[in-house]
Amino acid sequence: MPKVTIDHQVYEFEGRPKALQFCLDHGIELPHFCYHPAMSIPANCRECLIEVGMPAIDRETRQPKLDKDGNPVIRFMPKLMTSCSQDLADGMVIRTHRTSEKVARAQQDTLEFLLINHPLDCPICDQAGHCPLQIQAYKYGPEGSRFEFRKVRKPKHIKLGPRVMLDGERCINCTRCVRFTDEISKSRQLTIIERGVRNYPITPPGVTFDDPYSMNVIDICPVGALTSIDFRFKARIWEMSSAPSITTTNAKGSNCHYWVKDNLVLRITARPNAAVNDYWLPDEDRLDYHRFNENRPDGPRIDGRPATWDEAYARAAEVLRSVPGEGILFLGSAHATVEDNYLLTKLAKALGADVPRYIPHVEPGHGDGWLRTDDRTPNAEGCRRLGIEPVDEAMIRAKMEAGEIKAVYALEDDPVAAGLFSAEALANVPVILHPYHTTNETLPVTDVALPAAMVVETVGTYVNCDGHAQRVRPAKAIRDVNRTLVLEMDKGRPDKHGTPFDRWHHEDHQVNCRPSWVSLPAVAQKAGHPMPYKGPKYIMAELARTDPAFSGATYEAMGLSGVRLESVGEAV
Amino acid sequence: MADFIKHPEVPLPDLDPAPSFSEEELVFTEEERAQIAEYVRRYPTADGAVMRALWLAQEKFGFLPPEVIRLVAETLGIPYAQAYGVATFYTQYYKQKKGRYVLDVCTSFSCQLCGGYDMLHYLEEQLGIQKGETTEDGLFTLQEVECLGACGSAPMLQVTNGPYVFNLTPEKLDALLEDLRAGKMPAFTSVTLPQDEDEMGGNRRSDAPQSAVYETPPVARTLE
Repeated sequence: MPKVTIDHQVYEFEGRPKALQFCLDHGIELPHFCYHPAMSIPANCRECLIEVGMPAIDRETRQPKLDKDGNPVIRFMPKLMTSCSQDLADGMVIRTHRTSEKVARAQQDTLEFLLINHPLDCPICDQAGHCPLQIQAYKYGPEGSRFEFRKVRKPKHIKLGPRVMLDGERCINCTRCVRFTDEISKSRQLTIIERGVRNYPITPPGVTFDDPYSMNVIDICPVGALTSIDFRFKARIWEMSSAPSITTTNAKGSNCHYWVKDNLVLRITARPNAAVNDYWLPDEDRLDYHRFNENRPDGPRIDGRPATWDEAYARAAEVLRSVPGEGILFLGSAHATVEDNYLLTKLAKALGADVPRYIPHVEPGHGDGWLRTDDRTPNAEGCRRLGIEPVDEAMIRAKMEAGEIKAVYALEDDPVAAGLFSAEALANVPVILHPYHTTNETLPVTDVALPAAMVVETVGTYVNCDGHAQRVRPAKAIRDVNRTLVLEMDKGRPDKHGTPFDRWHHEDHQVNCRPSWVSLPAVAQKAGHPMPYKGPKYIMAELARTDPAFSGATYEAMGLSGVRLESVGEAV
Repeated sequence: MADFIKHPEVPLPDLDPAPSFSEEELVFTEEERAQIAEYVRRYPTADGAVMRALWLAQEKFGFLPPEVIRLVAETLGIPYAQAYGVATFYTQYYKQKKGRYVLDVCTSFSCQLCGGYDMLHYLEEQLGIQKGETTEDGLFTLQEVECLGACGSAPMLQVTNGPYVFNLTPEKLDALLEDLRAGKMPAFTSVTLPQDEDEMGGNRRSDAPQSAVYETPPVARTLE
């Protein structure tokens, strides 16, 4: 296998990797700005410089020349090379800034040039704290500045489109954003204009940067030149904690981080996962966080009046016991996790009811064949794998009119708003509902409301439209501190040190709700059908063991990037 | 450029300008389209022809407002943003309406030493405008530019991205303005290359047969 020597250490490589990517893959950090693994390599930031040498070959013998100690003579290229664009070759010798004073000096000088016209905006810049330019200036840059002249002033806070704000001065012209619109999203709405010190990226006149994936340029911008109009000045990065999870706006289940401050989700950023969304996230997924913070319930209700959880569970069990099992309509939910839906099917089976159905939320034409799908729910495939089919609306309505439905048990959905039943039709039937919001239109006719934790507050599994099973983790705390949730919650640096901004500080923003995998067994217990599960992890372990449609989907296996399930039957 | 050093501010381009040309005006004729297609054929991809196509458009429309750049991009089948980036990169593409004759006076190093600023200020006086402005009759635009690569004949100016006028003197400028007002462009004058000097009798410039013979500096040995 061909070998390359990096900082006196020999590595083997396959194929034709680029030096920078190879170093990053092997834990050798090299500073860089313009390079992005998903896009073309322009090598224009000049920050990833390295020294590159090859063994000298004797022209006559075609053998490597050896010095008097028997080591091959290495001829270094006269100029430093950009590692991002440098192909590795057998026998190549690379010196990074760790072993070469020349490289360290060049990287420092490049940073000095990049910083010449960079404004001192860090104290008010949204990118501060996770800014590659800031971090690398600290690590590799010069101390102070020798530039004592006026900095070039460029347009600031320009709205490129409805979601992205430009600050021209901060830009270092790495062209990542331009390449993103050219190569990834293909909207081709951005370009670098002007030349020399005057250039910066912008849309041409008359064009709005309304790409449905426009906010990805905020993620990939290595400085604070492109910031989110929505998130601008809302919070500092170091005051927030983030949790790796997935978005639930559509059936793709793109991987994301939920960023939380004071128990409010304030922004959603992309999390790389080559099997699902690569590095990207559609704008609709990023802006879909208000529903986690607004109109959340404040505990269970019986007939619209506040109640304790125990009272509500007892009342729900009473309703279930009071009607014959086959008269109960169980509605699963494509918004809920696999675990919750599985528990519902178990409860329905124990009571002798039909297999639950779910209400589909399909919006034809919404999908784009990439990260947006027609299906606006995250778990239709998970429901299908559990044997939960979409409702046959006509049949269900006919049954309701015929009086065959004696009670409705609906998981994490809104049958009235979805148009399945009218409020009048449900008025005479006892309804048990696990709602997310106080705006749920079924609530006025609900007898027992057991508020459910949303994706940012629970632990569970979602299966995306391609059959990729992925775990979600709690990003914010709920009122009822549950040991499983606490243990699953990733502790950010602020949490560990107990700053005033941690997730536990403000009770105001802790929603009084419970995950359905807590509420459902509690109701089942009181109805006389105990479900002794210690937590969602064990529910999923049982499913992975017993149901071929979920084979292998244990929490350990899913980890952070999920598990691709065997395909079962027809896709949804 | 001196102003930029004192006040280094980059203005935001007008992102929603009123169009300068109507829909009817914004078309290429059949011949122009054929010419652009011919340009495209010379390159592996259509975006190679963007500079020639922009040039053609500038000659047709006089300058390149956004709608003309968009027309060029659509004709070539390349992204509008890309064509706009190219057009803003080169100062020779005029993004604003200019006078009929654009006088680019070089004030870079060699020309500056030989009186480039004097020539610029003389023109400012003669035309009654400041650099960067256009005369009221729309005939002349005066610009200060960076080196145009004719240091051997400094000071010099360029007329509307075209012919150079070398070895400027106030008299020469008076004659030039008179000619231009009469609609007479200065003739193209070539600069003889050192290897052709023998044929030219030692003259480096074809326009100055009577001038003193140029002494070519000794050629470095490495070039022989």
